[in-house]
Amino acid sequence: MLEVTDLHIEIEDSLIPETVVEDFDIEVSAGEIVGIVGESGSGKSMSAHAIAGLLSRKDMKKRGRIVFEGEELLGMERSRLRSIQGDDIAVVFQEPMTSLNPVKTIGWQVEEALRIHRDMTDEEYKERAIQMMRDVEINEPEKRYYQYPHELSGGLRQRVMIAAALICDPKLLIADEPTTALDVTIQAQIIELLKRINSKKGTAILFISHDLGVIRTLCSRVVVMNKGRIVESGPVEQVFNAPAEEYTKQLIGAIPQFAKVAPYYDISGKKPILEVKNVSARYKKITGYFTPGARQKLTVKNASFVMYEGQIMGLVGESGSGKTTLGKTILGMLDDTSGEIVHYSRMPQMIFQDPYGSLNPAKRVGWILTEPMRIKGGSTKEEQREKAASMLELVGLDRTFMDRKTSALSGGQRQRVCIALALMQEPKLIIADEPVSALDVTVQRQVINLLVRLNKELGIAILFISHDLKVVYELCSHIIVMKSGEIVEQGTDEQIYNNPGHPYTKQLLSSAGYVKSD
Amino acid sequence: MKTVLKKLASFIITVLLVTLFVFLAFELIPGDAATFRLGTNATPEALERLREELGLNRPFFVRYFTWLYSFFFGDMGQSLSYGVSVRSMLASKLPITITLTLMSFVMIVALSVPLGVLTSKYEDRMWARSLDALGQVTMSIPPFFLGIIIMYVFGMIIHAFTPGGFVSWQTDPVRFIGYMFFPSVAIALPKAAMSAKLLRTSILSERKLDYVRTAYSRGNSTMDVLYRHVLKNAIIPVITFLGMTLADTVAGSLVIEQVFSIPGFGRLLISSISNRDYPVVQSIIAIIAMIVIVINLIVDIMYRFMDPRMRERS
Repeated sequence: MLEVTDLHIEIEDSLIPETVVEDFDIEVSAGEIVGIVGESGSGKSMSAHAIAGLLSRKDMKKRGRIVFEGEELLGMERSRLRSIQGDDIAVVFQEPMTSLNPVKTIGWQVEEALRIHRDMTDEEYKERAIQMMRDVEINEPEKRYYQYPHELSGGLRQRVMIAAALICDPKLLIADEPTTALDVTIQAQIIELLKRINSKKGTAILFISHDLGVIRTLCSRVVVMNKGRIVESGPVEQVFNAPAEEYTKQLIGAIPQFAKVAPYYDISGKKPILEVKNVSARYKKITGYFTPGARQKLTVKNASFVMYEGQIMGLVGESGSGKTTLGKTILGMLDDTSGEIVHYSRMPQMIFQDPYGSLNPAKRVGWILTEPMRIKGGSTKEEQREKAASMLELVGLDRTFMDRKTSALSGGQRQRVCIALALMQEPKLIIADEPVSALDVTVQRQVINLLVRLNKELGIAILFISHDLKVVYELCSHIIVMKSGEIVEQGTDEQIYNNPGHPYTKQLLSSAGYVKSD
Repeated sequence: MKTVLKKLASFIITVLLVTLFVFLAFELIPGDAATFRLGTNATPEALERLREELGLNRPFFVRYFTWLYSFFFGDMGQSLSYGVSVRSMLASKLPITITLTLMSFVMIVALSVPLGVLTSKYEDRMWARSLDALGQVTMSIPPFFLGIIIMYVFGMIIHAFTPGGFVSWQTDPVRFIGYMFFPSVAIALPKAAMSAKLLRTSILSERKLDYVRTAYSRGNSTMDVLYRHVLKNAIIPVITFLGMTLADTVAGSLVIEQVFSIPGFGRLLISSISNRDYPVVQSIIAIIAMIVIVINLIVDIMYRFMDPRMRERS
């Protein structure tokens, strides 16, 4: 049905034209689910957008053949292409928050493709839209029809995107990282939904993802991309079980697998390093000019736990569960909190999720690392630089990085600099808030190994905040589960993973695909 | 209901503050209506008598609240310099100023929306860039100066209208509108240039957002994406700007009336200030303040209508 051969994409907006996709070939038959997997910058989204006819920027050059149902899409007349877009080929994008028009109703957006491609009465449009919303399991579709995107949760918005894409019964659905921005439980539901649509309606799906686990459960064939080129392709089982290429092996090896990386840590006889007693945090919501802070929301409710020196504690929960707020509360970064927090060591340091936003892009690494010492005073410039350089070496970067600007670093290098910055204070406890979530799997693996090494060699305790149960399983011997601001369960990895007491923990585990071990 | 009460409260507070400030200003500057009427050679006794007659020797707050009280019931008092009721003086002028304001506002909208759309749609064409540059120049010309140029070119050279030959609405509606056209252009042009530029920038940044890509993926043409998706989002910041502009246009029209010799609020206000004729000045200021607040209220409502995210969730 779809046959892409020898696709090249070049961007010419700078002086040197840059080839972003090279020699790309893919074939999708009717009713098949094919995956494209790769890390950021691999050209996977670019190729998918080219197939969907969405690369119309003037500075982009495309070569090759994209044949859909016997018709060549590249260089096709715009009006003819438009009659295929949204009708035979539909797209679901990554960010359900921004991919919907904020000022149009849900109903209008679900119907839109139908209004463009089919001639019907308004009643028929509405009827079809509501039926479609029901098909993708949107509750109360009649009510949602008149709502706006901001009134819906992330999961519901993605269902709206899918409903809008499927409204004309497309032959091919291109799904560009459709689950990446969603929580694990929602992610699992969306994958189920896509599977069901595929088997019920026979819609072929081209599924783009960086997540190999998702690709494996969903697709029959997979194409692995790296740096704009196809590395390997074939049936999913073959590629996963017997990868032929080095890169593929590396990629598969980096996937968190529910396998222990850090050994079990026995806390008996260890001294406590942090005690959190009945801690609550409130969040003020400004509701109007005359009533600031009138409505208050408790984001953390009565949290209590103890951490011991040298321990890696996992703090697990979905977005909005209050896990980040709890981390910030421990560091005293929030005002409106109650309860007691006892630190038995120097002030802990924090590492954040987004290594791009946390470092001043205009400064050099050395300047950033020595900043805390400069502020504190009492040390010479040489001492400061020497210490910074040794911390860089500790996180696996050589001294030459001292004089590099942070804007010239990759995501993984940035995160290492963030860790080195935390180490400058010689902390006994680091609070790591989703430190690997924004990184590609292979880089993620390196940062995890680094954290384990720091824990082992320097005895630094880590409060590891994450939504990813696989990574938490690898690192943590003790785990706290949070939901809507409350700690619903805490215990050892054995208790939490093999003997969960709370239904929410069970739900998280099954969404993450955990199979009980003996 | 709560919102309505809040708006009403801020309405009343604003009018009170504005009029109080004007009253205070009159108190601070030297001279009053009596000295102006009798001239510099008047005897102190005569001045005192006139002040007594006009009620100017009463304490400040008594005068203010007396004025406020009667204004509240629709009585704007007597002009101190002309001795006629302020209400009758304003009744003939208010429609002129309002017409001027509205005409220029309509021009601002009618010019800026198509200009903003066109200059963003054809952003890399030469003519669109020239228009953008021309707009940059236009918005930096003060309206009164533009008024003088227009008067000179269209009045003295082309003879499209007779400068100073104002015709009232009652005499000839067509010639009235015809005379008001050029002053409206003088007020509208700089503002239209600003709002066109704002709309252009807004459209260009909206076009980069994800939902636009979604719109294309459904088979929309470039035109459909612009009119069905982008424009409604892009116009939201422009509405706020137009609201502020409308309030500004009222003030702008006072100046332009001077340039084009239009007997509206502007000329009356200026002569009344130099005559220290505070009942007239107070009433004009209060009315203008009320107009501005009502405009803000309308903008607020429109804003909520255009942007569902601004509507209160029930």
